Amino acid sequence: MKHKNDRQPQRAELNVDSSRRRFLKAAGLGIGSLSLVGGGIIASQPAQALATNARIVIVGAGAAGLAAANRLSSRLDGAQITLIDRRERHLYQPGLTLVATGLWKSGKMVDENQRYVPRNVDWIHASVSEFEPDANRVVTDTGQHVEYDYLIVTTGLHVDFDAIEGMSPELIGREGIGCVYDNPENANRTWEMIDRYTTDGGVGLFTRGPGGIKCAGAPLKIAMLTEDLAQRRGNRDHLHMIYNSPGAGLFSQPDMDQFLKEEFPRRDIAINWHHRLIGIEPEQHRATFATPEGNVRLDYDFIHVVPPMRAPDALGNSPLAWQEGAFADDGNWMEVDRHSMQHPRYPNVFGAGDCVGTPIGKTAASVKAQVPVVVDNLVSVMAGRELTASYNGYTSCPLITSRGQAILVEFDYNLDMVPSFPFISPYREHWVPWIMKDKFLKAAYNAMLRGRV
Amino acid sequence: MAFSIFGIFAVLLEFIRPFLPLILAVFAIDLVLLAVALRNNGLPAAWRALRSALPVGVVAFMAGLVFVPWITGANHGNLAGLIDWLSLIGASVGVGVLALFLVWPPVALLRGKMA
Repeated sequence: MKHKNDRQPQRAELNVDSSRRRFLKAAGLGIGSLSLVGGGIIASQPAQALATNARIVIVGAGAAGLAAANRLSSRLDGAQITLIDRRERHLYQPGLTLVATGLWKSGKMVDENQRYVPRNVDWIHASVSEFEPDANRVVTDTGQHVEYDYLIVTTGLHVDFDAIEGMSPELIGREGIGCVYDNPENANRTWEMIDRYTTDGGVGLFTRGPGGIKCAGAPLKIAMLTEDLAQRRGNRDHLHMIYNSPGAGLFSQPDMDQFLKEEFPRRDIAINWHHRLIGIEPEQHRATFATPEGNVRLDYDFIHVVPPMRAPDALGNSPLAWQEGAFADDGNWMEVDRHSMQHPRYPNVFGAGDCVGTPIGKTAASVKAQVPVVVDNLVSVMAGRELTASYNGYTSCPLITSRGQAILVEFDYNLDMVPSFPFISPYREHWVPWIMKDKFLKAAYNAMLRGRV
Repeated sequence: MAFSIFGIFAVLLEFIRPFLPLILAVFAIDLVLLAVALRNNGLPAAWRALRSALPVGVVAFMAGLVFVPWITGANHGNLAGLIDWLSLIGASVGVGVLALFLVWPPVALLRGKMA
């Protein structure tokens, strides 16, 4: 005989089955959606690539060159894109200050260009020794002539150690000499010097090269992180720190300049104004500075050397460089329109990154803002359209003031603060910008290399 | 410098890329355990198991509040203003939720076996 209860286990099983199916269906939809987003990110293509058989040459496989190569390879259908750079190694240069102050191991900032070069881009493993824009070609150091229809110059810059008498990169890590620029080996040796200095104490001289340098915040960060380390080691009283500015300011953005002019004295970091490092005597531990009152020699136990910087000779000596004016005098930087990034005399040539002569912006953040403008405007030129993309001078410096805190400084050509995150004050030290710098910015940088941000 | 939604996901993908095999492996194991628990014990039992696992999430959240600054190379003295404290709370909630969902499938399976 059937009982009423005989049927209930079947109904319960049906309910479990249907609710289980709903759960699994929802989970499947969720996983599917995430896969679509992930797949979209990995294999993103623009809605309509421009069909062309143009030859595009990109000189330099640094941040700007790789980002441009990846963006162009997805924006163009049929183009012959050639990347020229001898270097196999890719350096995440924003990590240099972290390595030089002992916060990162150098391996974290070393990668391989091969991982980021798009499959449909030809890579010539050589350096460009001559730019011949009148002939629409470049010449490599192996003698190869590479012709182009369009050229993107992203060579980076040259750190001019020779401009300081007695200085050479081989001295970094010896005789109390440090320099965070511009490779992990120099940064590692600088850390050895800072480590020793914050233990032994003495006079520390911190310098800044005149004119345009990459990551203009780095000399300041080195000074502040060295001071912070000495504090944490309980040895601050044994250090006499002096920051030598080649001009009358510490930072181009006025609010940050004011902040630093108050912060440095508060932390007992003395400031010498109009002191430009021109020579060094390593064995005597003595540095010579040019000042308006004449040359001054200062003894040191530790010195952080920041040389002047300029465009690489091949670029600086070419017709592509500024021929006159401040950017010619400062570093023979590449001439570009500061907004369109197009060369004013060679309209099929564009530039981005550290090599260009613009009022501000030799940072990875500037590259992130410039490259989309370059690519958009180059595609417009190729399509015979008006150039509409514009670079506003955006640059950013997560100014680390101590371990665990930073100020997220972002500004434009007008030197106005332009914060990306309105809830993070650009006028105050916070923990969150420190996390961004230490943990997340490299991920953003890598996404930029892949042309995804 | 604004990031689009795709841009944010692109950055997150780059952030987890070095750990992706481990994350996928753990996720797959958890999914399998959850599927087995659902098949064996049903959805209501699984929800009860989630409630049982809740204390683990709470403990992980509290641990996050204490240890997250230290893990980032900082200390609580570096936190300045609302954005830092809200970020710490948000990160700790994330730690708690992650711990909860990691522990839930094995708890769901074990509860079924013990029932």
